Amino acid sequence: MDRLRTRWIIFSGLAIVVIVSYLITIKFKTAPSPATLKAYKYLDTLPEKSVVIFSFDHEASSLPEIQPIALAMLRHAFKNDLKIVGLSLFAEGTAIGYDLLSKTAREYDRQYGSDYIFLGFKPQYISAILGMGESIKRVFPEDYLGNMTDTMPIMLGIDSYDNIEMVVSIADGDRTVQWVEYAGARYNQKVMAGLTAAMITSYDPYLSSEQLYAVVGGLRGAAEYENLLDKRGGGSRGMLAQSAAHLYILALVIVGNIIYFRNRRRRGGE
Amino acid sequence: MRTKIPLVVCLAFGVIMFAQYFSNHTIARAVYNNILEWWQIIFAFTLFVGVAAFIKNNLKSISLGKKDTPYKIVSLIGLALMPLLAIIGGTRIGSPFLWSFENMLAPMQATVFSLLAFFVASASFRGFRARTVSATILLLTALIVLIGRIPLAEMISESLPKTTFWIQSYPSMAARRAILIGIGLGSMTTALRVILGIERTYLRGE
Amino acid sequence: MDIGILVAGILTLAVFSFLYKDNPVYKAAESWLIGLSVGYALVIFWQTTIIDLLLVPLFSEGRLILIIPFLLGLMMFSRFSKKTSWLSRIPIALMIGAGAGVAIPAMLYARTLKQMSASVMPIIENGSLNIEAPVVALGVISTLAYFYFSREHKGVMGSTARLGTYFLMIFFGATFGYTVMSRMSTFIGRVDFLLTDFLHLIK
Repeated sequence: MDRLRTRWIIFSGLAIVVIVSYLITIKFKTAPSPATLKAYKYLDTLPEKSVVIFSFDHEASSLPEIQPIALAMLRHAFKNDLKIVGLSLFAEGTAIGYDLLSKTAREYDRQYGSDYIFLGFKPQYISAILGMGESIKRVFPEDYLGNMTDTMPIMLGIDSYDNIEMVVSIADGDRTVQWVEYAGARYNQKVMAGLTAAMITSYDPYLSSEQLYAVVGGLRGAAEYENLLDKRGGGSRGMLAQSAAHLYILALVIVGNIIYFRNRRRRGGE
Repeated sequence: MRTKIPLVVCLAFGVIMFAQYFSNHTIARAVYNNILEWWQIIFAFTLFVGVAAFIKNNLKSISLGKKDTPYKIVSLIGLALMPLLAIIGGTRIGSPFLWSFENMLAPMQATVFSLLAFFVASASFRGFRARTVSATILLLTALIVLIGRIPLAEMISESLPKTTFWIQSYPSMAARRAILIGIGLGSMTTALRVILGIERTYLRGE
Repeated sequence: MDIGILVAGILTLAVFSFLYKDNPVYKAAESWLIGLSVGYALVIFWQTTIIDLLLVPLFSEGRLILIIPFLLGLMMFSRFSKKTSWLSRIPIALMIGAGAGVAIPAMLYARTLKQMSASVMPIIENGSLNIEAPVVALGVISTLAYFYFSREHKGVMGSTARLGTYFLMIFFGATFGYTVMSRMSTFIGRVDFLLTDFLHLIK
């Protein structure tokens, strides 16, 4: 079979498997991983009005995977009446963060400026993270909408990490590492993360050393969180398709190896 | 002078930023805060230089009438559109700027990234072979993780997700930790070499 | 249908057309994406940094010290002329120097020492054997041995380094598994958009 034909068969197979399984509705009960459970319990037991930073440290490319995680965690935070300070250390995370924060706040009838604020983006992440340890208002003199930060009611008692309970970094790369290594190590700031699945293994050492408090990882992590929250979302909806896609890859690996060993034996025989 | 000034600047700012870690003096904090701010401002200018280079290269390509000229024009129109929309309607929710981000930039970028799913599938079929002991370990671990993290695994056996977490939390984590320690030691020595002017690669490529 | 969803759907399909083969529709969408991305970054950087951190404090609040980073920033543009391009080394040196300065304590404490101390776990915990402790210690030491090139990988060193490669393979395997998960999730997200919002096949 020529390479191009094989490629098309593999591609078409994946598309069919995912599309068909997505059209079928089966509700899975996804048991939470220890890390997801830890993240959920933390936000669940935080006293009302505690301040949490949500940092949207990702690009639009990972949006389909990362948005369900961010949405589930934001819903939880708004539901428990936590005060949210949103920001971004990626230019593209700015519009995403602002949009998501505004829409979720509307679901829970939370007011901009008093229940939540979006500070926008600042470049050079190390400098921004370290600067916020000294003064958040100095790094963000104005919010994303152009209001003076120090005039916003939510920011009245907030000036540095001393007034922040937790930083939730929603990331598709190593930005959370910088939160851990600069805000965590230098200013003793607690940090947890919502990560794309591809990044999970990179963060395991930080989780194990407890430098990173907890991780909600991938679409599966989002489904687990939605399950704990009892609010179905993108994560839960995608679980059947995710399972089917994994099984499809598994089948490809097995078939590929069978062909390889059969050919090797034939060559050996010759 | 062309080399000495940058080396002195690098040494001075490197030493200041290192030393401030150990001081809480008011002057030290003020200097530290100012440098952090300057760093951000200068960094923003590097992006503008990149944008200027992008425009310059595209215009050059268009003026030479190369084959990809229509695509270069499309890129430049896209580049001009976003600032124009921001000037006209601002960047708040409901603005044309945010509309363009939500309905053009974000979906296209996510779709480009999702193409990787197909190439991963193709690579799994073609390249994932149990040729050696090492390759077999890699393959088996990948398969355990692939099965262990889907809801179906919990229905088959509870030990499947547990095995996945164990692999992830201990042997896999240990290897990653060793890599991190290596990177940490390497970064530290490189930083020291940069401050002392031994490592000067950033001075090349004017 | 909402015009935004229509546009997003058409552009999504244009990008997916690459799976058939490289074609002008995909190339046009790709160029459009590049242009929009650069334009978007330009707006965000201008608004959040140049206006907020430079122009307003400098001209409205009279913080004259900001003239220094302003001039240093402008020096970056000297790269476009061969005669003056050396000037751009000065702001670059400032950023690299500052970055190196803050990196030393962070790398030493947060990355190296913290990770090393976390590798030492009690072998006996609550009266029972903690099998994970030797696994982690062995994994870290043998992987480090694999990356230690100052001594030939022979004898004990060779066996330890070989063991290190097995630990590395476990890490790469787990990472591959999670990467597949990640890529599939992204594709599922786009399928969700196409089937739910664009084609209305799912309510």
